[in-house]
Amino acid sequence: MIGKIGKFILNFIVAILLILSVLPFILMVLAAFQHTQTLDFKIRWDALTFDNFATLFQYHGFGSAMLLSASVVVIACVMNIIVCSLAAYGFTFKRFPGSEAMFWIYMATMMVPRQVTVIAMFVLFNKLGILGTTISLALPAIDAFGVFLVRQFMQGIPESLLEAAKIDGATDWMIFRKIILPLVKPVLTALTVFTFLATWNDFLWPLVSLGSDESQTVTLAISKLQGAFLTEYGLVMAGTTIAFSVPFIAYVLLQRQFVEGVAASGIKG
Amino acid sequence: MTKPQNLTFKERVDRASGILYVLPSFSILCLIAVVPIIYTAYLSFTTYDVFSAPVPNGVENYRQLLHDENFRLALLNTVIFTALTVPFQTIIPMILADQLVRSDHPKLSGFVRSTLFIPVVASLILVGMVWQYMLAANGGTFNEMLHFFHLISDDYNINFLGTRTGALFAVAFVSIWKHIGYFLVIFYAGVQDIPRERYEAARVDGANRVQQFIHITMPGLRPITFLVVILGTIWSFQVFDLVYSMTGGGPAGGTTTIVISIFEEGFKNMQMGYASAISMFLFVCVVGISVAQQLIYKRIEK
Repeated sequence: MIGKIGKFILNFIVAILLILSVLPFILMVLAAFQHTQTLDFKIRWDALTFDNFATLFQYHGFGSAMLLSASVVVIACVMNIIVCSLAAYGFTFKRFPGSEAMFWIYMATMMVPRQVTVIAMFVLFNKLGILGTTISLALPAIDAFGVFLVRQFMQGIPESLLEAAKIDGATDWMIFRKIILPLVKPVLTALTVFTFLATWNDFLWPLVSLGSDESQTVTLAISKLQGAFLTEYGLVMAGTTIAFSVPFIAYVLLQRQFVEGVAASGIKG
Repeated sequence: MTKPQNLTFKERVDRASGILYVLPSFSILCLIAVVPIIYTAYLSFTTYDVFSAPVPNGVENYRQLLHDENFRLALLNTVIFTALTVPFQTIIPMILADQLVRSDHPKLSGFVRSTLFIPVVASLILVGMVWQYMLAANGGTFNEMLHFFHLISDDYNINFLGTRTGALFAVAFVSIWKHIGYFLVIFYAGVQDIPRERYEAARVDGANRVQQFIHITMPGLRPITFLVVILGTIWSFQVFDLVYSMTGGGPAGGTTTIVISIFEEGFKNMQMGYASAISMFLFVCVVGISVAQQLIYKRIEK
């Protein structure tokens, strides 16, 4: 009874959801290649142009913005992989005095949203004289969640493996580098994807810490375009297209890792 | 864990060296989370404009908070926004995940999942900008579509973002749109963990798809649903980027949220002390939601 009609309605809704989820991006790309003041379906094929992109790179500093965003992302990812895997190793296999208390602090920091501490971070980083530096933009990418994620994975490694290596004369550092790191590679990939997405798309922290500074990240650059060129749809959409293309291409290439990263966040609860 | 007393000196040194591995991340966490939250708490009891040193003023900021109409509006907007988004971004992905996992066409369901995930990878700021243009009164996609199908007259445009209620609904809608793919992936993993035999048995007993969903999928997903609701609520309380790019908090404060007011008080009005008090309020909300989660979760588990 409900079967056929229900199935039809459901498929219809899924179809609408599918269209809705890609439509804005299609319109965005179409507008980016035109001189237009509307966002509509009228495509003038003869008027397609790269002008908008050229303007962005020539007059609106998109080249340097992309460079800054890219450096922030690379620093954040490398730093996160290193410090999270180190800490996870310490917590999993060392159980040093005070490790439980420390772990409790890690748990507690997960409850502190960035939006809450943005003011204090602004003031502190300003006092430390690192406000607005590339490294300071990457720092907030580090969080306890990464440590949890990697630790979860390391707990599956039998301790006998480490003991065997120790008997063979391997030092701690060698065990970490040669045995542990290769084994946790899959989770490090997921962590990288997560860090990459969060850092590339971050907005509030760059907005606050770069302010009216010359340097800007891609998200900051496009938001400034929006303020200045409310009616130049084509130009603004070219900016959003650039901001979107990087994570989108990464997603197309690394779909499995993106999905695994999100599914892993289900562990959080 | 073995008692430290039974360890040789060498083993103790070995264990203690563990702290060296933890130290890098611990110091960064102190710098970006532990110290800032303590400092925020301190600043919330001061008057501070960045240019001169913070002046302690007792609970003045919190007293101001109680009487601030703008803050009350921001809180109300945030609560309404949360109430609008959380149910939809929980229920839609849940039903979808059930359908997709149990679909007879695995390729097709993979395609649906991948496509719905595309909005997730885009930044909220650009999503907000594109939707702002699509919803624009003049030449916006939605008005054009309504004209095309003759649902409204050609010389009339709906100003979706121009009214307070309309703007709040629009922002909530885009937020749901953005998060469906994310929660779908989490639910998808959850449905896959439900034993297939349960559905088989239910089918043999004559239960239809809706009954199977209500009696097998929903109870099976309970812990994950709980996580999604909590995560969704916390995110909604922190909404900023989307509002900033779609409406800037307007019109007339119609979409001003808690974080928008932190930003405005702190970085536009240079009332860092007051903004810190709002931040502490948000912090207490988020911790409260997380703690409530733990308590309720334990009760559910029993």
